Amino acid sequence: MPHQPNLFVEIHILQSLPPSNINRDDSGTPKQALYGGARRARVSSQAWKRATRIEFAKDQPAGDQATRTKRIAALLTERLARPATDGGAGLDTAQSERLATALVGELGIAKSTKKDEQSAYLLFFGKRQLDTLVASLDGRGAQLAALPDADLKNEVKKLPVVEALATGHPAEVALFGRMVADLPKLNVDAAVQVAHALSTHAVRTEFDYYTAVDDENVEDSGAGMIGTVEFNSSTLYRYAVLGVHQLRDNLSSPEATRDAAKRFLDAFTRSMPTGHQNSFAHRTLPHLVLVTLRADQPVNLVSAFEKPVTGTSGLASESAVRLAEELRAVGTSWGTVPLRTLATYALGEKELEAAFGPSRLFPELLDEVDDLLETWLAGKPLLPIAAEDDGR
Amino acid sequence: MTDQAILVLRLAAPLQSWGGPSRYNRRETLPQPTKSGVLGLLAAAEGRPREASIADLVDLDMGVRVDQPGTLLRDYHTVSDHRGLALPSAKVDGKRVQKRTTPAKYTGVTQRYYLQDAVFVVALRGSAPLLAGLERAVRHPAFPLSLGRRSCPPTGRVSLGLHHDADLTAVLGTVPWEAAEHHRRRIRGSEVTLEATVEDPAGEVLAADVPDTYDLKTGTAFGQRAVRHLWVRIPTGHDAANSGDSPASPASDIPAAGADPGHDPFALLGW
Repeated sequence: MPHQPNLFVEIHILQSLPPSNINRDDSGTPKQALYGGARRARVSSQAWKRATRIEFAKDQPAGDQATRTKRIAALLTERLARPATDGGAGLDTAQSERLATALVGELGIAKSTKKDEQSAYLLFFGKRQLDTLVASLDGRGAQLAALPDADLKNEVKKLPVVEALATGHPAEVALFGRMVADLPKLNVDAAVQVAHALSTHAVRTEFDYYTAVDDENVEDSGAGMIGTVEFNSSTLYRYAVLGVHQLRDNLSSPEATRDAAKRFLDAFTRSMPTGHQNSFAHRTLPHLVLVTLRADQPVNLVSAFEKPVTGTSGLASESAVRLAEELRAVGTSWGTVPLRTLATYALGEKELEAAFGPSRLFPELLDEVDDLLETWLAGKPLLPIAAEDDGR
Repeated sequence: MTDQAILVLRLAAPLQSWGGPSRYNRRETLPQPTKSGVLGLLAAAEGRPREASIADLVDLDMGVRVDQPGTLLRDYHTVSDHRGLALPSAKVDGKRVQKRTTPAKYTGVTQRYYLQDAVFVVALRGSAPLLAGLERAVRHPAFPLSLGRRSCPPTGRVSLGLHHDADLTAVLGTVPWEAAEHHRRRIRGSEVTLEATVEDPAGEVLAADVPDTYDLKTGTAFGQRAVRHLWVRIPTGHDAANSGDSPASPASDIPAAGADPGHDPFALLGW
């Protein structure tokens, strides 16, 4: 296969919130939007992304903000051996190995005591930084590799090796991106896209009138303070898509890519914006988590709810059935069927298993995604399930 | 002229935002997709790096039809660092790590505007091979697509396919109406009049939304293009006589077949 197609991992979540106000505007009103002609509860993408990043940072390995590969020398060797048109220096294997060793030596990182080809600790770097490093050779790769040891060392000292690699992209930056106007080299385009969460049904804002009693007030019977808090309750559709190919390019190492992808899915699922948390204690977990893997194009299924759900038999279960119908309708009408659908749900409708497959425990779902990413990152294509089944 | 083609896109989503040259803390949206926004979507589909040339894309002529205008949504947006640190500044220190703002600024407030519940049909005219490549890219994008802002992924089909040997106005007058069901119900007649904007060197209106590059190093400078506003009449798909059968709308509300059901104040002006 000459060119590996892209891989998108999408996550679709249905989650109900009790009376709450997790994301409000400057007048205290829960954020809203019109969709399908009906007013919906809205949680902005940036609000949920922030909650996700806080959740993500929680289980960041200690002392390892800049993630990580031990195989920098091997990766750099492979890179230098590529032709110049492909971002390399066009060296032969021996030359590129020699130059890579000299360059990595300049970083002052000790070699692993156990494995000669690995550095002693994990070093984070991305494709862009390798681009910078190879570019800094300025086409003199072959010339440098031909120098005697001492001269090579001196020449390499003059190159901005540390500058090219020291500014690592933490996994968080590789996922969510970074923009620095003054220094475009530091920019990283996010691998993750998060949509605003919308309620699957029409929502009306309610007003909670409250009084606060002054405990020390013995003179009169009035309240110490009165006010209103606005709130609503909703079943939200949440959607995010991760470009695995983009994340890989941002991170360079397959292990770091898998790790960041898995931890993102986990953090996005479990996170919750904290607005008015102490007043409403709205900490819920999803009814349904659907992960779809696609090689063609991401598909946001919010259109399932363009006609608002009315909820005569429960908002969550009706929303889940709608989502299942939409997934199937999109597959039939445009031929974009996901390579895999994996889901965790605690809803009994029969339609769900047909559309999403059996419900799995969430940690198992993550492990399965991880296995699939390992396969894909190793350069093997993910075949559609239908192609693997015999005659079905 | 056989080497020319038209690519038709459908831009629909709960939220879209077409900022054009809007900057700083107030990020506005125009009522229709901008050329900069649409070309950005195409460049993202092809996986072009930000610093790549977009000269070939800029040469495309664009037409937009407003199938469902949507309404304006203001979003109050605050920015802060979740670790309680001051916001980073644009400057970097010796180790090329971003400095913090001095005096420390902890929260930035911006207003962001969106179009909610809108649907547009966009037609791009240019060389057939280029558009064929873009059409394929839209169906197999390298980067996830978005409608003017990253948090606005499109819903439904984006590419409505290629048309050969046609002009922009003609294509915008033939592509079926893409409005959602709730919007369709509001138009009762057999035809609907839709606002459209097409690029036309003879047009008397200037739109300042032509990007020169998406390179963040230089930022985008916007050039102008001449456009022409027009109205296109297309079938709604339901004929006026039969729509009275629907139980939701009593027959007495339905104008007589053949009468113009749409209120068009501009008709008097001959637009």
